[in-house]
Amino acid sequence: MKVIYTDVLIIGGGLAGLRVATGIKGRGHDAVVLSLVPPKRSHSAAAQGGMQASLANCKMGEGDNEDVHFSDTIKGSDWGADQEVARMFVHCAPKAIRELAHWGVPWSRVHRGDHAAIINAEKVTITEKDEAHGLITARDFGGTKKWRTCYTSDGTGHSMLFAMDNKAKQEKVEVHERLEAISLIHENGRCYGAVARNLMSGELVAYVSKATTMATGGYGRIYSVSTNAIICQGMGQAIALETGVATLGNMEAIQFHPTAIVPVGILTTEGCRGDGGLLLDKDGYRFMPDYEPDKKELASRDVVSRRMTEHMRKGKGVKSRYGDHLWLDITILGREHIEKNLREVKEICENFLGIDPAVDWIPVRPTQHYSMGGIRTKYTGESQTLKGLYSCGEAACWDLHGFNRLGGNSVSETVVAGMLVAENISDYLDSDESHLTIHTSNIEKFVKIESDKLDALLTKEDGEDAYVLRRRMEEIMMDKVGIFRNGDDLQEAVDELEELCKRSKNIEVFRSKSRAANPALVNAYRTQKMIKVALTVAYGALLRTESRGAHSREDYPERDDANWLKRTITSWPDENQLVPTVSYEEIDISKMELPPGFRGYGKDLTKHHPKTAEREIVVNAVKEKLEAVGESRFEIQNALMPYLDKLPKKYRAINERLGENI
Amino acid sequence: MRKEKIDKTPARLDFLQSFTGLILALFITGHIMFEASILISNEMMYKVTIMFEGYYFFGEKYPGIISFLAAAISVIFVIHAGIAMKKIPSSYRNYKVIKNHIQGMKHEDSSLWMVQVITGFMMFFMGSVHLYIMMSQPSDIGPFASSSRVVDEFMGPLYFMLLISVVSHAFIGLYRLAMKWGFMEGKNTKVSRARFKFLMKAMIAIYIVVGLSSLAKYTYIGMTHDFSDGVKYKSQTIKMENH
Amino acid sequence: MSESKKQRVLKISILRFDPHDPEDFPHMETFEVEEADGMTLFIALNEIREHHDNSLKFDFVCRAGICGSCSMLVNGRPTLACRTLTAKLDEKFTLAPLPLFELIGDLSVYTGKWMRGLNERLETWIHDKEEELNVDKLEEKMEPALADEIYELDRCVECGCCVAGCGTAKMNPYFVGAVGLNKIARYQLDPRDKRSDDDYYELVGNEDGVFGCMTLLGCEDVCPKDLPLQSKIAYLRRMMLKNTL
Ligand SMILES: Cc1cc2nc3c(=O)[nH]c(=O)nc-3n(C[C@H](O)[C@H](O)[C@H](O)COP(=O)(O)OP(=O)(O)OC[C@H]3O[C@@H](n4cnc5c(N)ncnc54)[C@H](O)[C@@H]3O)c2cc1C
Ligand code: HEM
Ligand code: HEM
Ligand code: SF4
Ligand code: F3S
Ligand code: FES
Repeated sequence: MKVIYTDVLIIGGGLAGLRVATGIKGRGHDAVVLSLVPPKRSHSAAAQGGMQASLANCKMGEGDNEDVHFSDTIKGSDWGADQEVARMFVHCAPKAIRELAHWGVPWSRVHRGDHAAIINAEKVTITEKDEAHGLITARDFGGTKKWRTCYTSDGTGHSMLFAMDNKAKQEKVEVHERLEAISLIHENGRCYGAVARNLMSGELVAYVSKATTMATGGYGRIYSVSTNAIICQGMGQAIALETGVATLGNMEAIQFHPTAIVPVGILTTEGCRGDGGLLLDKDGYRFMPDYEPDKKELASRDVVSRRMTEHMRKGKGVKSRYGDHLWLDITILGREHIEKNLREVKEICENFLGIDPAVDWIPVRPTQHYSMGGIRTKYTGESQTLKGLYSCGEAACWDLHGFNRLGGNSVSETVVAGMLVAENISDYLDSDESHLTIHTSNIEKFVKIESDKLDALLTKEDGEDAYVLRRRMEEIMMDKVGIFRNGDDLQEAVDELEELCKRSKNIEVFRSKSRAANPALVNAYRTQKMIKVALTVAYGALLRTESRGAHSREDYPERDDANWLKRTITSWPDENQLVPTVSYEEIDISKMELPPGFRGYGKDLTKHHPKTAEREIVVNAVKEKLEAVGESRFEIQNALMPYLDKLPKKYRAINERLGENI
Repeated sequence: MRKEKIDKTPARLDFLQSFTGLILALFITGHIMFEASILISNEMMYKVTIMFEGYYFFGEKYPGIISFLAAAISVIFVIHAGIAMKKIPSSYRNYKVIKNHIQGMKHEDSSLWMVQVITGFMMFFMGSVHLYIMMSQPSDIGPFASSSRVVDEFMGPLYFMLLISVVSHAFIGLYRLAMKWGFMEGKNTKVSRARFKFLMKAMIAIYIVVGLSSLAKYTYIGMTHDFSDGVKYKSQTIKMENH
Repeated sequence: MSESKKQRVLKISILRFDPHDPEDFPHMETFEVEEADGMTLFIALNEIREHHDNSLKFDFVCRAGICGSCSMLVNGRPTLACRTLTAKLDEKFTLAPLPLFELIGDLSVYTGKWMRGLNERLETWIHDKEEELNVDKLEEKMEPALADEIYELDRCVECGCCVAGCGTAKMNPYFVGAVGLNKIARYQLDPRDKRSDDDYYELVGNEDGVFGCMTLLGCEDVCPKDLPLQSKIAYLRRMMLKNTL
């Protein structure tokens, strides 16, 4: 048995994982990163649109600050987010982006003087300040009051990930590529690392560590059409779930992106609409203003996706052999803009659709895109129930996004959370608590279990075909746990998934029996795990009888704060159970800085919680009082909901901004 | 940050290869045109010849100038070929590797490089012979002398091969020089490259036509002229006192 | 996309070899797949794996032409398989793994390892003066045009196509390839990187670097991200030469 000891095992080499690793190295501890693919190929590279940070450099971002970013994020989350976490996040986002700028990301910059932009289908001229020339610029994104989304052309994630990976290389972070964590080693409520499988040789390796970080990204691939990379299969969530100890949060919160191309589901960035692109129906009619007169195409993602679906249901979709779709029109932006700022989009259109987006409309429809749910953690990034297990990035639910994530908040989250978690873990390592106490024989036991499972898959006879189960699962999720959900469909989905879960215990790997690089074997064990993840999503959705953010129930169209202002917590304590165990965690209104309100889309159907009004009065009183004596926004914020003490000391200072705090 | 001195040789060799190539190529573009003066008339070719022999500067001919020129070109030729040797696949294994690569890729520019190597190799022999003759018999140049060499001394077939290879080699070389050093790139490098490539092909075609025509004319003269009088050309307009 | 059009049956010949199997040897195997509208090699290969041979190895991650995982030889030319539409190919075509890189099996190669080696060798990160950054302060300014220019070169996805398409790289295993040269050009352009021209010369001013490049331009023509490799290599060459004067 091969055992590798390290201080911190980091599972996942995307933005989140690499940022954690770099931070830990910086604090003088050891770290090993595991990744399915070379880190630079992680899905973070696909983020095109941008990263939110309230720098307020560009003209249209003027007046932006942490407060505005905070309120956008909370509204976006439909009040599902943890407000303290959101505060920590908006406070650190400018720091994270400046750090990345220092590490080499060539952020697009403000150019002084006039430039043309398309706003609401009209050409306008924007004049940038002289003193902002050369600072990081930003573009408009859905659900934000200010232009806050910083970008590098439309390769934001790519350039961030490359800079991050290069930095990690400079810090000599050890990365083990093509190694897949397949189970966590844990004992007495504490995590001690993971069993990993070498995807090239098939060898099982035990990584034993004082702390383990799960930064494995999302679980979009439980849907048949998704914008996610095909490795976004929720393996991190699955192996955490399989410990029976760690819990997952809000798994039913799944975001659909309005503009993925048809049929393959590759994303065209929100930047298309942010920069002025329009959504059109089969008659070439711009329908979004009818539904959302205010924000139009730039309403929050969940809203636009639902409006598009509604509109198609009215028969306004364009018919195609792959089902209905709508058009995204970016021709009005002009070739020059497209070739410079939306180049990936252009490439995608050319290569996958054979069209030129500077003259043709792009066929789009809403498609699975982001997983708000994930491994439930405290604000420190540590699992609430399994000590020594940390998680961050899309894999986690420390709960920044609640029930809907704002575009651009996610890559931003990966680096901010990575930054913070690295410090928290380092503090933990510096304390006596972190000593390793697990016995080697127990490590062996965990490896043996996995080895036996693989043998079983390879030797089973007359078993199930993993591909068949998996395709069925994907279809169920797509058809019954999609944008609009209802009780009947969800019940069917849960029933059928349960059946699939049972059948999946009987999977056989046909023909290809190699224990080394063997795609069939990989598919087999992943399918087993994915079905469990799918169940947490479908079951959570079935139980949640309200509509909140991206979770939209046709049979319960109102947001129900009175009964449902709480997080769904799922776990799988008994290996033999076929549906997850669900419990709930209240979200405390009396601690909120921004008490629940109306998001401002469509009709206000919210059933308010009795405590909301109480809290509003308190908040307003505090604000008035402090404003009257001329306190700064920082003081007021601090009086309402202090959070700075939750941040590592080095990140507590106030951010500089043009015209503020310099 | 660093203590040791950098080794400047690779940069200099690379430059020298290009520089010698450039001089040779420019020389050849002129050479073939001068020689094509035969297409206008024998008289014209004669004038060109004596021009190179310095007649118009000194009032008399010094064939030694040609020898000197040939020697100089030979030196450049040798330097160029010498450095080029480094680029030529050093072992049969490598040759196979690159050959398979180029065949598999079906990629024009890689194939062009192969043409450079092959034509370079051919010139290594043929060019040397020609240069040696020019160095050793500098005075035997002229409408009749050259024609006689082409026909009676069987230089025709060699010139034919040499022409094809040198013209291809020179213009492919110039195109590759432009690519290698980024000469006159303009804003859109794809467009400028396409233009250079077109120019290269056009020039190869023109020079081969001109070269073949001259060679045909030399052959014609060589076959039809009566050499009983010797190979010296007697100009009607220019009278040589010294001879 | 007419429905009535009869779909072709593609005959896909794949170079197969499993280095973990002592009895296996490289051989071609042909699969027949019915073409569908908008079919890419990603779809076709998955179809083969799901319905014909589940042991077929290949690498896709983003399947959108973004991550650079899926480079392979299509009819002898390196390219990204995920964004190759079968409609652009003949009915019969061949697929083979990228040469030069360590073979994992069938079409799967370990480009990541090669690239890591390259990154470490060329130290492809910003070399600054070790001073701690104050993240609370305004970021350093940069000319917008320069930022764009750097990004242009930063777009490389480390797919390895330029290396597989380069004859020089085939003959000299130590050659850094267009990918490496492009990276040096990128950092040389970046004012945040404080390395001197001599430092860069040390890295690529030799036969394994820019002076090894024989301007075959395979790199330029196969690069799926259309990076201006010819122009940047030329630029480096000039810069390196100037440095020796
Ligand atoms: C098409 C697209 C566009 C997007 N655009 C934007 C945008 O413009 N702005 C924005 O803010 N967000 C965007 N997002 C979301 C954002 O990109 C992701 O949420 C974020 O990058 C996730 O980063 P991560 O580090 O958490 O995970 P990933 O980058 O997904 O990394 C996961 C890592 O985990 C590894 N891994 C997974 N499972 C295992 C295992 N079992 N063992 C070992 N390793 C494992 C993988 O190899 C990988 O290295 C976009 C997402 C998509 C799909
Ligand atoms: C013995 C004879 C010769 C040999 C063996 C030879 C060989 C080569 C080789 C191998 C190259 C390298 C290909 C390349 O990297 O571009 C080259 C380049 C070149 N050659 Fe020659 N050559 C010879 C004569 C000539 C002559 C006579 C000319 C002029 C007409 C010439 C002009 C060029 C030019 C312009 C280049 C491009 C230079 C460069 O790439 O730096 N060569 N030659
Ligand atoms: C200074 C050196 C040179 C001199 C003086 C010279 C002179 C001549 C002359 C006089 C001829 C006419 C035929 C003859 O008289 O034999 C000729 C032909 C030719 N030379 Fe040269 N030459 C020189 C160098 C070269 C070099 C370096 C090359 C190429 C490698 C070359 C290639 C040719 C070719 C291809 C022809 C035949 C032309 C045709 O087909 O029209 N010469 N040269
Ligand atoms: S330069 Fe182009 S071909 Fe080479 S690795 Fe980068 S993206 Fe791929
Ligand atoms: S193909 Fe190779 S030889 Fe140079 S121009 Fe490109 S690196
Ligand atoms: S799979 Fe990412 S580029 Fe092809």
